Amino acid sequence: MKLLNKYHRINIAVTVIIMLITGIIYYYTISRILTSQIDKDLILEENEVINYVDLNHRLPEVYESNHQQIIFAPFGNKKIERRFLDTVYREIKANELEPGRALISSVKVSGQNYRILVIQSKVQTEYLIQIIFLITICVIVILLVVLMIFNRVILKSIWQPFYKLLFQLKEFSLANHTNIESIPSKIDEFIELDNAMLTMAYRVKNDYENLKAFTENASHELMTPISVINSKLDTLVQTDEFTDKQSKLLNDLYGTVARLTRLNKSMLLLAKIENGLIMDNQEVDIKEIIEECLYQHEEMIHQLNINLQTDFQDKRVKASKLLMEVLLNNLISNAIRHNYSNGEIKIILDTKQLTISNTGNGTFNFDQVLKRFHKSDGSEGIGLGLTLCKQICDNYGLNLSYSQNNNTHTFNVIFW
Amino acid sequence: MKILIVEDEPGLRESIEAYFNEGDSVCEIAHDFTSALAKVSVYRYDCIILDLTLPQGNGLDIIRHLKANQYNDGVLIISAKNSLDDRLTGLDLGADDYLTKPFHLSELKSRVTAIVRRRSFNGNNTLLFNEINIDLDAKTVTINKQFVKFTRKEYSLLLYFIANKGKVVSKSAIAEHLWGDSIDIADNFDFIYSHIKNIRKKLVEAGCNDYIQAAYGMGYKFTET
Repeated sequence: MKLLNKYHRINIAVTVIIMLITGIIYYYTISRILTSQIDKDLILEENEVINYVDLNHRLPEVYESNHQQIIFAPFGNKKIERRFLDTVYREIKANELEPGRALISSVKVSGQNYRILVIQSKVQTEYLIQIIFLITICVIVILLVVLMIFNRVILKSIWQPFYKLLFQLKEFSLANHTNIESIPSKIDEFIELDNAMLTMAYRVKNDYENLKAFTENASHELMTPISVINSKLDTLVQTDEFTDKQSKLLNDLYGTVARLTRLNKSMLLLAKIENGLIMDNQEVDIKEIIEECLYQHEEMIHQLNINLQTDFQDKRVKASKLLMEVLLNNLISNAIRHNYSNGEIKIILDTKQLTISNTGNGTFNFDQVLKRFHKSDGSEGIGLGLTLCKQICDNYGLNLSYSQNNNTHTFNVIFW
Repeated sequence: MKILIVEDEPGLRESIEAYFNEGDSVCEIAHDFTSALAKVSVYRYDCIILDLTLPQGNGLDIIRHLKANQYNDGVLIISAKNSLDDRLTGLDLGADDYLTKPFHLSELKSRVTAIVRRRSFNGNNTLLFNEINIDLDAKTVTINKQFVKFTRKEYSLLLYFIANKGKVVSKSAIAEHLWGDSIDIADNFDFIYSHIKNIRKKLVEAGCNDYIQAAYGMGYKFTET
C-alpha cells in the first residue's frame, strides 16, 4: 500500500469518527437549545392562561392552531406536578400524529382544579435541526473531499524528491557506472535521506572500485613471481640429465605454471573489461580472426576427425582486437573441446550474427556456466571462458545466447 | 651479439643472463633506470631487453633517450602489464617487439634473435644454419639447395629451434609458441610430437643431420652437430 493511501485511509477514518462524535454533540446541543426555546413559548402560554384566569376567574377560550393546542381538564384535589414532556399529538388540519412538546400545569378556577396541557408542535424545530444537520454534513463532506484532493496534490509534490531518489536507487548499478545525483529539497528528512544515499553510493562505489583495483593489482603483481618461476624452470631444464621421474615432475610443474598464468591472465582481463580499461577500438575483421583461430586448432579438429562446415561473409566490428580474439577463441575452443570423435562443427558468419554449433554429449546450464569458476563436469578449463565471453559481449552490446537441441549445442552472437 | 638486460627483478634477470650468456653472446645487466641510462649512453647493444616498470623511472624514457641520440639499438620490451597503451607507445617510440610476462626464456631468445637478425642482415634476409638456408621474407626453406616444404607451424618451430640451438626447449614453451597461451598445453603435447616428427623426417630426408633430439620427455633440443 502506498504511503499516501495509508495516510489517507487513517486520515479519513479519524476525520469521520471525529465528525460523527461532534455531529452527535452538535445535534443534541441544537435540539436542546431549540427545545428550551419551545419551553419558553409554553411557559408564556401558561402565564397567559394563568393571568387570564386571575383576571376573569374563568378559563380562557381555547382556539386551536396548527402548531399549538391548549387543553383544560378538570380534576380532583390531587396536586399536579408541573412538568415538560415530549409527546405526540394529533394535528388538526392534516389529522396526523406529530411530535410535540407539552407542558402540564394546573390552575384553580372558582375552586375547581384544572389541568392545563399546552402542546406545541416540534415539526418546525425538527425541520430546522434537519436542515442544520444536512448543511453541516454537506460542509463536512466538501471539506473532506477538498482536503483529500489538496493533500494528494501537496503530498505528491512534497514527496517528489523521495520518488526521484527511489528511481535513482532502482537504476543504480555499479557495473554500469551509474551515478546517484543529489535531489535538492527544503525538507529536513529528505535532505538527510539525500545525504545518506549519496554517502552510501559513494562508499559502495569506492569499495567496489577498490575491490576491482585489488583484483587487477593482485593479478598484476602475481605476474612477476610467475615469470621468475617460469624462467627458473627454463634454466633448470638446461642444467643436467634428468631421470624419468624428475622430468615427469618438471612437466607437471610446467603445466601448472602455464595454468596459473592462464588463470591470472583471464582474471586480469576480466578486471580490465569491468573497469572499462580496454578501449582500443578498431575495425576488427571477424572472418580473419575465426580463420586464424581455426588454424590454431587445426590439429585438434583433425585428431577428432570433426566435420567442419563454415560459411563466412565479411563482417567488421568496431572493437578491441584482443577481446574479439578471446571471445572467438573461447567459443571455438569450447566447440572443439566438448565435441566427440567424428562430430560436427558448423560456423556461420553473416553481417547480422555469428552462429557456432557443435555436436557434443552432455548438457549444461548456460546461466550457471556464466558464473565465475563454474566448471561443467569433465571440463579441463579454468572456468572463466564463458564468463569472459559474456563480459566481452556485454561490453560491446552484443547478444550472446545458447540453445541446445538433442546433441547439438549452439552459441549465437548477434551483432548490433 | 651484445645484449643489455634491464630488469629490476633479480630472479628473472639472472635467469635471462644465464640463458643468453653463452656462445657468441655477451650480456650486460642493469637493475634500475639510472644504471640502464648510464649504460646506453656509453655502449651500443645489438638488443636491449627492457622492463618498463623500473625503480627510479619508466623504461619508455630509455627508448626516448635512444631515439633522441639516434642510437639504433634493437629494443625488446618485457612488461608485466599487458597494456595496449604501453605496447603501442613502446612500439611507436621505436621498440622492435613487446613480450608480456610471464614468458619462456626460449621465446625471449627467439624474439631477440629475430630482432638482431633483422638489424644485421640489411636487405638480404636469409638465415643460414649449416646446410639449412631459410629465406625469412618468403618464409621458405632450402636444404642442400633443394626446396623443402614446411607447413606454417613447422616453419615457425624450425626457426624457434635454431634460435634456441643447444638449449632444451620445453614442451610448454613450444605449445605456447605455436598456439599461444590461451590453450591448455596438455591438449597439445601429442600434436607437438607429430609436428616434430614431421620436421625431423623432412630434415633427414633432405640429407640433414638429425638435429632435433628429445630431451628426457620434457622437451626437445636442437643440437648443432
